[in-house]
Amino acid sequence: MTTVSRVACTLCALVICSCPLWGQVQPVPIPGGDVIQPFGLFNQFFPGVGSIYDGMDAEPHGITNFRGVTAMGYTLGLATDNSGKTYQVITDIRVYQGDYVGAQSTFPAGGSTSAKAHGTFVEI
Amino acid sequence: MQVPDDAVKITEDALTISLKNVSVVDQFQFPGGAGNNLGTAGVPATVSFDITYSKVGSPRHIRPTSSDPLSPLNWSGKMWMATNSGTFSLAYNDGSISVQGNFSSTGNFGEIGTERNGSFLQEDDELDKPDTEAVPLVQNQNSSTVATQNETSKLEENAPKLKGRIPVKALVHEP
Repeated sequence: MTTVSRVACTLCALVICSCPLWGQVQPVPIPGGDVIQPFGLFNQFFPGVGSIYDGMDAEPHGITNFRGVTAMGYTLGLATDNSGKTYQVITDIRVYQGDYVGAQSTFPAGGSTSAKAHGTFVEI
Repeated sequence: MQVPDDAVKITEDALTISLKNVSVVDQFQFPGGAGNNLGTAGVPATVSFDITYSKVGSPRHIRPTSSDPLSPLNWSGKMWMATNSGTFSLAYNDGSISVQGNFSSTGNFGEIGTERNGSFLQEDDELDKPDTEAVPLVQNQNSSTVATQNETSKLEENAPKLKGRIPVKALVHEP
């Protein structure tokens, strides 16, 4: 494959990947988060009390420029699969609904500008 | 992931979410996924769940105690501790496994409330600032905003005082 062909394929892939985003306001991740080795910065905090948490008043969800209702919690439970095997389940599920200022594709290549929107988000 | 607004029901004391057959990827390690997270790609699956978060006790008011945009303490809100419980089911798209179960908070941390962060933090702090409160956070404040506020302050200083109708009682010293 020539260099021109590679560039063309790359551009096509970028355009195709961008299509579903047109007309939508994409939420912007919080700039901070936990640094988890060896992965690096993970744009999420872990509210809670104890050495493995970020404190009771740590930011409870993962997007910035947000105003609304939020709920989160860590849980324990049990699950059973279709062969009868039992598993212990540990979850961290966060829900938030409200107004947010996110990124909207404005420029020809997808360059963004700010836009206000309303949405409901779940982190599973 | 973004979900329809009607998947969530919010009442005075609780929030309930109900989702059916949401497409997810079962990732075997945390953080998972492709790209920068470097984890395994995972297995495509669908998940359904119902969860109810319920308020417990009195709220705590959270004020931003840091103006560092990377800090976990750069937000404000009114939060209650919360219990939660729910049921879920999950099935791999290839049909190789399906699981169902239930869970509850059982003493683990959970919370529910209203919050704001980022650009809404400064905007709303100006609106609900009590008269006696200190100067609010200056996050995201650019020089033109500061200049406008300074000009407004100067105008207020130069404005005529006690103009218009004044309750006479306020000017009379009672013996």
